[in-house]
Amino acid sequence: MPPNSSYPDSSLGTPRALYALWALFWLLMIAVAVQDNISDAHIKWWEPFLWECSSCLIATLWLVLQQRAGRRWNQYLSQPLKWFGLHLAWLPVLSLSFVITVYAIRHGVYALTGETYEHPSWSFVFLYETVKLTLFMGLWLAIIFGLKSFSLWKQEREHLLQMQKLLAESQLSQLKAQLQPHFLFNALNTISALMQSDVERADRLLARLADLLRASLAVGARQATSLREELNLLELYAAIMQERFAGHVTLTRNTTDEALDASIPVMLLQPLLENAYKHGVERSSQPVSIRIDAHREGQLLRIVIHNSGTWQSTPGSGIGLRNCRERLALVFGERANLSVAPVADGVAASVTLPFEPFRA
Amino acid sequence: MMRVLIVDDEAPARDKLRRWLSNHGDFEIAGEAADGLAAAATIETLKPDVVFLDIQMPGLSGLEVAAQLESGTAPLLIFVTAFDEHAVRAFDLNAVDYLLKPYDRDRLEKSLHRLRERSGDTPARSAVRTARAQTRSSERLLVPRGEQLELIEASAIHWLEADDNYVHVHTAAASYLVRRTLGDLLDQLGERFVRIHKSTAVNLAEVASLSPLFKGDHEVRLRSGATLRLSRRFKDALFGRMPR
Repeated sequence: MPPNSSYPDSSLGTPRALYALWALFWLLMIAVAVQDNISDAHIKWWEPFLWECSSCLIATLWLVLQQRAGRRWNQYLSQPLKWFGLHLAWLPVLSLSFVITVYAIRHGVYALTGETYEHPSWSFVFLYETVKLTLFMGLWLAIIFGLKSFSLWKQEREHLLQMQKLLAESQLSQLKAQLQPHFLFNALNTISALMQSDVERADRLLARLADLLRASLAVGARQATSLREELNLLELYAAIMQERFAGHVTLTRNTTDEALDASIPVMLLQPLLENAYKHGVERSSQPVSIRIDAHREGQLLRIVIHNSGTWQSTPGSGIGLRNCRERLALVFGERANLSVAPVADGVAASVTLPFEPFRA
Repeated sequence: MMRVLIVDDEAPARDKLRRWLSNHGDFEIAGEAADGLAAAATIETLKPDVVFLDIQMPGLSGLEVAAQLESGTAPLLIFVTAFDEHAVRAFDLNAVDYLLKPYDRDRLEKSLHRLRERSGDTPARSAVRTARAQTRSSERLLVPRGEQLELIEASAIHWLEADDNYVHVHTAAASYLVRRTLGDLLDQLGERFVRIHKSTAVNLAEVASLSPLFKGDHEVRLRSGATLRLSRRFKDALFGRMPR
């Protein structure tokens, strides 16, 4: 899924229901007008038909115009007063142009048939038509507003559902990754080996493994956490790796207090650290150092996971990264970014997201 | 007496195996290795009878190590893994055994028992074949460079030249002397190479032209300019594979 594709946008299409309703409304208007005048001997059958059709034609042109040009006001759907205000501000212009075009058509058609279109004085016509138009516009704007709000609500709900689904998936896959069978069984084997030779170390490793299991389970249904807690979880993971590859890897962090209190999506960084281990530590026999930097840059929080190992992309290693990107895109849209790139002395995975203090 | 090589990237895991094996008088620890390249090099120099080979390792995995062994002289292999059950299951019939981490002493005893039964058996030829089928072993070849081993891309090899129990592997940049038979190398490297003589094989993509000599022999000119002789015996095989 391309990032952002499900983010609510301003291009709410015109629902078919609107056009159907519109057509029904005008059929009714025409029918009523024809019926009203059918017994009047002074009025020919086509006259009420012409009156209504000319109005319908111009009104329909407006509807199309509103559907196209009015799109830019979709962003104000959550502020109904502003939305209606912006539309009604055009009323004087519309009223004037409506009377001129509609009456021009009627006069033209009457002239073609050799008759004269008779109507009250122009000042009365303008007043009468403006009042009618105001009522008419109010009614239809209310209907359009209702339909648009409904489809916006539907879009937002879909977005929310998708976000929840992705989060659930990521939690599941993160849980699986943390308790990755390889990771778990290797740790168990290390304990099995250590308890023959170094009971203290075996005990320590067993406790760390239990801590990690507990912490993973405790994350539960929460969606956000503080960077501090996230890093604590990462450190448990790293502590176990360190016991297994003693002297092989060092983990340091370089963070500001402000950054530690920031809110971040739960378990966002885990795949990045795992990648650092996979590429840096497990694939190279040289000692590797992993450094986590986090600080605030204006409105953004920047987190960099830097590892001194080699840059090697192996097939399948991109899943964790892709998952991170998707989650960032869903939660923050285009305000967050994740990039992985080789740097002078290793590889750096860099995440930026909007800074926001975490509140439990 | 069986000489054992222990290969695992985790020191505690190697310690465990060494400690338990030391109780058995008929097994002798010949050496240890902590990654795939070191394992391959140690197998070549120490020629152990048995290798306990961890699968998930930095650089070269245990399966990749197995795939690069000379199948005719390979030691007996016992794969040790934390989770690659699906990978090791393929070896059911032709590797001696596999151990799933963590394993206990009884389980190791069983493996040792099987080893004793198999000692003196033909080498683990079919285990090496299975490992080749499971890895991208036709894409890469392990070659010695000075004291070290390194992997080169099979596509970079121009031609292969047998020399007793060795093969000269010619690339644009260098030639490597590999202690393998030509037949075994071709088994590993697969379709990319075609034998043109009892003692030579070429990378098909490197063949520039063919011109007839006497008695049905041909001259094969490579893109690099090298000329080799195509013997009558292998003519049809090469002609059948050449793009028209």
